[in-house]
Amino acid sequence: MSKRSALTPSLIIIVGFLTVCPVVMLVLGSFSEGLDAFGNFTLDKYIQSYTNPELADIIINTVIFTIGSAIVATFLALFLAYLNTRTNIPFKFLFRIISIIPMMIPHILFSVSWVLLLNPSNGLINLFLRQIFNLADSPFSIYTLPGMILVEGLLDLPIAYLILAPALAAFDVALEESSKVCGASNLRTLVKVTLPVLRPAILASFILVIVRSLASFAVPSVIGMPGRIYVLATHIYQIIATGFAADYGMAAAVGMSALAASIVLIYLYRYLTSESEKFVTISSRGYRPALIDLKKAKYPLFGIVGILSFVLILLPVLVLFYTSLVPYSMVPSAKAFSLMSWKNWVAVLKDPISLLSVKNSVFLGVVGATVGVILSVFVSYVIVKVRTTASGILESLSFLSFSFPGIVVGVGFMWFFVQTPLYATIWSLLIGYIATYLPYGIRPLTSAFIQIHSHLEESSRVSGGGTFYTLRRVVIPLLIPGIVSGWILMATMYVRELTLSVVLSRPGTEVLAVQIFRFAEDGLWGKLSALGIMMIFISTALVVIASLVGAKLTRVQTEGE
Amino acid sequence: MEIRIRKLSKYFFSEGKQIKALDNVDLVIPANQIFTLLGPSGCGKTTLLRCIVGLELPDTGEISIGGDIVYSKEKNVFLAPEKRGLSMVFQTYAIWPHMNVFNNVAYPLQTRKTPKEEIRNKVKKTLEFVQLDGFENRPATKLSGGQQQRVALARALVPEPKVILFDEPLSNLDAKLREETRKELRSFLTRLKITAVYVTHDRIEALSLSDTIAVMRGGRITEVGTPKDIYFNSSKKFVADFIGRANLIEGKVARHDDHHTVVDSQIGALACKKRPDVPPGAAVTVCIRPEFIRVSAAFPEDAPNTCRGRVESMVFVGDSYEGEIRIGNTCLVIQIEPTFGCKEGDTAHISFDPQHCTVLNR
Repeated sequence: MSKRSALTPSLIIIVGFLTVCPVVMLVLGSFSEGLDAFGNFTLDKYIQSYTNPELADIIINTVIFTIGSAIVATFLALFLAYLNTRTNIPFKFLFRIISIIPMMIPHILFSVSWVLLLNPSNGLINLFLRQIFNLADSPFSIYTLPGMILVEGLLDLPIAYLILAPALAAFDVALEESSKVCGASNLRTLVKVTLPVLRPAILASFILVIVRSLASFAVPSVIGMPGRIYVLATHIYQIIATGFAADYGMAAAVGMSALAASIVLIYLYRYLTSESEKFVTISSRGYRPALIDLKKAKYPLFGIVGILSFVLILLPVLVLFYTSLVPYSMVPSAKAFSLMSWKNWVAVLKDPISLLSVKNSVFLGVVGATVGVILSVFVSYVIVKVRTTASGILESLSFLSFSFPGIVVGVGFMWFFVQTPLYATIWSLLIGYIATYLPYGIRPLTSAFIQIHSHLEESSRVSGGGTFYTLRRVVIPLLIPGIVSGWILMATMYVRELTLSVVLSRPGTEVLAVQIFRFAEDGLWGKLSALGIMMIFISTALVVIASLVGAKLTRVQTEGE
Repeated sequence: MEIRIRKLSKYFFSEGKQIKALDNVDLVIPANQIFTLLGPSGCGKTTLLRCIVGLELPDTGEISIGGDIVYSKEKNVFLAPEKRGLSMVFQTYAIWPHMNVFNNVAYPLQTRKTPKEEIRNKVKKTLEFVQLDGFENRPATKLSGGQQQRVALARALVPEPKVILFDEPLSNLDAKLREETRKELRSFLTRLKITAVYVTHDRIEALSLSDTIAVMRGGRITEVGTPKDIYFNSSKKFVADFIGRANLIEGKVARHDDHHTVVDSQIGALACKKRPDVPPGAAVTVCIRPEFIRVSAAFPEDAPNTCRGRVESMVFVGDSYEGEIRIGNTCLVIQIEPTFGCKEGDTAHISFDPQHCTVLNR
């Protein structure tokens, strides 16, 4: 009893520190004179940042960027989810792939691949069109708001799909059937019945994409900054990145707006998802909806889906791999193939900073995910199995960081770490990563815990196993699938982490994404692509190893010691 | 080992309301008996079991097992379940799906740090005892319901506990298997001479399995006795009604004669088993079990407690006829041999032995 009762408060302290500390430090920092004058009260930072004449433009950009991305992502996701759940479109397995695989491709690499295709000076598509039509100027530029919106929309498409597809699958077909019985066409039914009933889910997806694009740093930095289009995240970055004039007080003051907007949106999102669940529960009767026959539109529509999957999954990897092999940007041709070499790869492997970033990212991925999963196991245990008021507090705390934009959390942590010896060490990154991505570990583990019947634990207690013995021999082995997916989610997030790292990383603690970002700033596309492909390899290797270890552990437990 | 429970209470809170799951329970469970807690769902029987084993923390009272206090509010004692040295068979069996049969059964010995050789021998012996020898390497997920139930039993038996607790262990088996397992369980438990506390809501299970039954209702112990006592001699209306099918006839005690208590009831004066403690004039209920009502077409000569009625329904259920006979405004449920020939609408005479007429307190 005493062990168990000590567990909840200590977890509340740990998780509370991880999630609340950056926010508190952000607030205090925004009222302080500077990193080395923490606690000297001043309002100057607010006055300075909110009287900045550029801020109005930045906010307008942010609004257009986030809402635009939300429209693109939600529209595409709705289109895909409808085709998948309600029509007889062929090759449905492709939809599962579309909804999962793009999450494996780091956002910065996805953004870079679009820069490589559509930048105005030497984007591959632009070069190609200029050659063919003999144009003097590039027809497209990715460095624009529409370009940012397109790429961010595609990046957030999987998340929107994961919200909309279950909502559509649970939709009560009788509502549509009765509309058709009344004489309405398929299209009219879709517009008049289906979409209005799905409104809460559509709005939820819309808002979640807004939150994600508000927190997004890869697209605004790689695509927006070269085109001098700044949004809140890049504005904050600009304030702290300009060498000697870095002002973390102003960054914190601006960050407060991003944080506030994000928290409000997340609460709206939570409200809407509970609403949409209410909608869904009215109906489910295990009844499979009749599929709409697309007839002649079947293959053209599938063509669109095929193109989307190509663009989302294969194109970025192909473009990066191609770029890593050619000496400078050129359209694929016989000449290009003859010039191909591993030069960029060799250069990266000889570059001490790139190698250090590989080492650091692998360390953070492996150690961070392991520590994060251990913490998630205890937190999820308390949330699902202990179920006191205190564990309810723990649950709210541990999902809080979902609503914080990464760069803002980074600035908050900066204020904290500067006051401690952890500043500029790899440990500061580790703590920041775990704080920001804790929900990625807790989600799969809470669902795993829910599936373990309390009798399985209780019979272990009665058989003489104490709390920790029971955890080790009964609970954890049954949790292994959840542990493995939590570990994989965290490790892949950590290996690619950019937003937080760009604030916290210092010389000596470079990580992969930051190094890629530096290459992008310097226009070293060949080296960038080589390092990017290595990054994808590293993530994939971690995923494979984790799955194998998980399978092995499960087998050992089943077959006995 | 004897289990003593003193003034035990346990409250739950549901939607802001306090619910007394256990209300001041006093109970002594004698050593080396099969002791059953019987009652309708929500009566607190499972809560009581879970308090004994240590999975619930009671709010007040005291529990001692074999003289050792495992819980006491006043002395601030609470022994964790793993330290009580008991065994329990769960309703869901709680077989760990990630282990094979051997590891499931060996588990309680492993927690007690038993040497490996000894574990192997004991597990083998126990699996033989429950007739599962050779199943050691079978994954737990590849077992039928009955086999899972035996694994759960083997796991409970293997540490040779002094007390085993059963929480409705047969309720997940189909009817035929349930009957077989019940007989088997009774023979296992009587051979082992250990204290078994058994929770069920099934009266037939309770009657056929137990040495002693405690009937529970609303968080309290209503009555404790042997199965026969409870079935035939209970003076409580709730118990008599719950333990078996019963005709309950309202009436008033008229007088006591040498051998019987006579009750004036809706169907006339009934000579009942003597209850000298109930004064004449007291309002009572008379309980007559359907199987003790004799039915005949002709008027039975020299029989006590006879009346005439009309056959309301008569249903053939295989081993007997079940029917209803109406006498005035009262309908009596009867159970008679399937060979008896009468049909709905017939006039029939019924009679019953005073020994099988029990006077219940109202």
